Amino acid sequence: MKHLFGDTGDWPHERLTVGDPRVLDFLGAFSRRLLKASRAHPELGSLGYFLRPAELTRTVTRLSAAVDGALVFPRGNVFHVPPANVDTIFVYSWALSALAGNANVVRISERAAGAAQVILEALGDIDADPAIARTQRMVSYGRDDAVTAALSAWCDLRVIWGGDAAVAAIRRHPLPPSARDLTFPDRTSWAAVSVPGWQAADPAARRAAVVGFSNDAYWFDQAACSSPRTVFLVGDAAAADAVRAEFLDLLVDVVAERGWQIEAAMAVEKRVNALGLAATGAADTLTFAGNAVTAATLTGTAVLPRRWLGAGAFPFATVGSLAEIVPVITRQDQTFSHFGFAAGELAAFAAALGGRGVDRIVPFGSALTFSAAWDGYDLPREFTRLTTLQV
Amino acid sequence: MTVFTLPQAEKERLLTKQLTELTAHHRAHCPPYARMLAATGTPETFGSVADLPWLPVRLFKQHELKSIGDDEVFKVLTSSGTTGDVSRIHLDKAAAATQTRQLGATLQTVLGPQRLPMLLVDSKGILKDRRSFSARGAGVLGMATFGRSHVWALDEAGHPDLPALREFLARHGGAPFLVFGFTYLVWLHLYEVARSHGLDLSNGILIHSGGWKKLVDQAVEPAEFRRRLAGDTGLSRVHNFYGMVEQIGTIFLEGPSGGSLYCPDFADVVVRDPVTWRELPPGEPGLLEVVSTLPTSYPGHVLLTEDLGVVHGVDDGDWPGKRFSVLGRLPRAEARGCSDTYREAA
Repeated sequence: MKHLFGDTGDWPHERLTVGDPRVLDFLGAFSRRLLKASRAHPELGSLGYFLRPAELTRTVTRLSAAVDGALVFPRGNVFHVPPANVDTIFVYSWALSALAGNANVVRISERAAGAAQVILEALGDIDADPAIARTQRMVSYGRDDAVTAALSAWCDLRVIWGGDAAVAAIRRHPLPPSARDLTFPDRTSWAAVSVPGWQAADPAARRAAVVGFSNDAYWFDQAACSSPRTVFLVGDAAAADAVRAEFLDLLVDVVAERGWQIEAAMAVEKRVNALGLAATGAADTLTFAGNAVTAATLTGTAVLPRRWLGAGAFPFATVGSLAEIVPVITRQDQTFSHFGFAAGELAAFAAALGGRGVDRIVPFGSALTFSAAWDGYDLPREFTRLTTLQV
Repeated sequence: MTVFTLPQAEKERLLTKQLTELTAHHRAHCPPYARMLAATGTPETFGSVADLPWLPVRLFKQHELKSIGDDEVFKVLTSSGTTGDVSRIHLDKAAAATQTRQLGATLQTVLGPQRLPMLLVDSKGILKDRRSFSARGAGVLGMATFGRSHVWALDEAGHPDLPALREFLARHGGAPFLVFGFTYLVWLHLYEVARSHGLDLSNGILIHSGGWKKLVDQAVEPAEFRRRLAGDTGLSRVHNFYGMVEQIGTIFLEGPSGGSLYCPDFADVVVRDPVTWRELPPGEPGLLEVVSTLPTSYPGHVLLTEDLGVVHGVDDGDWPGKRFSVLGRLPRAEARGCSDTYREAA
């Protein structure tokens, strides 16, 4: 086992508190370093912003407020298993847990590179109170069931990212009777454009929408759980064709402007998957605008593609109203990013879904913005426990 | 007899016509293929081989694509798959017969019309190991039909079988004989043993394939491979070939002077720019597309491979037509998502 951050010895008896000032200081310093490093790694900028002191203080205030007279305490020991490939997720998960005062062990992937290395260096550089290193530890280890089993037996809460396969693999290791899992399984995310909303928007607003959408889609190669894949065009079918055409033209333009390249292997991957949609009859029109933008027109909403099709692959489906989408949404569906809808339409859509699927309804450009409420959980609350006190 | 006869202009004309007809045939008989062509707005006539609609070869791993009825399926071939998914290639009786006949005709170009005594640079053990059988075993068995009096050059444990080699050479070494094996096995086992024991392989004709990937750490270039085999063992008639199960029966064969692969009369290659997807001129490397008139029972007549290659020249080598090299493999695209399959998860 490699120790990447924190002490290596036995666990101390000392405990942090919810919103412990030593943690707040540490995360504040960490946030500043991340913002400095964000030029080379834009995703670190979002992370640094998320961890800015004002935001953390707000979270702590909300968290420490007594719930029906109960006192709020850290949950205890938390074991985090983040995904191998999204460099920054482990920090969100760990930082909120540390803020809640928990002792944390984070298993960092051995494949971690790039931004993850910058993060670990930044953590190591901070002149922190020794309590931080004693209670916060980041390790990496290979395929070692014994370590995973020991950490599972140690923890009060186990946080499993990385999809269905990871959840199934980690769950083989028993937890103490009082502990539980917080799981982040495979997710699918969608985008929707209101046809009348698009038509009503001026050219600048349309372009801004596509810029936001392109960030959502192309960061993380459209493979993050929140990356939009299928785009619903909501409104009149004939008008929707023109909206799709203009949307794609703008997307090609914006992607070219950003200089985002799609490599040959990815282009082939997308061809295979797009042709596959046509072969099965799920799509009846495919367009390849260079390697960067691949579009498919779905023949209906009965069978929606839920697996990754490659970076910059966009199936389009036309529906008359948001209500038509409701029946095809499942528990697996996470983020629904939107453009051009009235607040009332979205509220009615959320009410109709009734929590059966879709955990986030956000405007274009915000799909990847992490928040303390994620996958239907209020994370800070999940990282704490309550003691009722009646005198 | 040879199937390397057509100058490029004539081949282009013939193949454009035949492959256009095959495209129409598959369109009429393979509904998923017809849907793919319809979705991409593919026309019905084509001005050149490069205009024909290509399918990425990996589609055969994810979809059942065949142009024959279930009752006409005579044989289903599967490719080796490292990631678990394998191609499934459906042949009817006619296609199976044609592929064997054309493979034979291609090999006769360098082997002559007689079946030669054959040294298999492999181990009989591979036929027993069910896990590795599909790939290596099928390759060896398929090729074995083009020789006679077979002898395995490796024992069951995979080590060189020197007594068997000596006996084979004593009996057949005085006249032309066929040697077949995967490139790295020939290099690691046959070459080393022949050199250190002074075996005379000068009447041999080596047919080898399977790439150089496993030899990278041995730092053997194709030219060096030929030079050392000839210099140290006398084996100077060496022919590499390139082919895939998705175009079974079609192999691209190295010419007598080495360094280039040639296309038989019923097949050709197109090198494509992986950004514009247009055909590249000789000298510019790109993705290899292989075309062949043999796939009549499944729409595999125009395939984009995941191999990189380059055309060296046209009508300027040992045989007419294009001559080319395979340069390596395109790496597989990987998602870096939150829900990546968590292979490390313990």
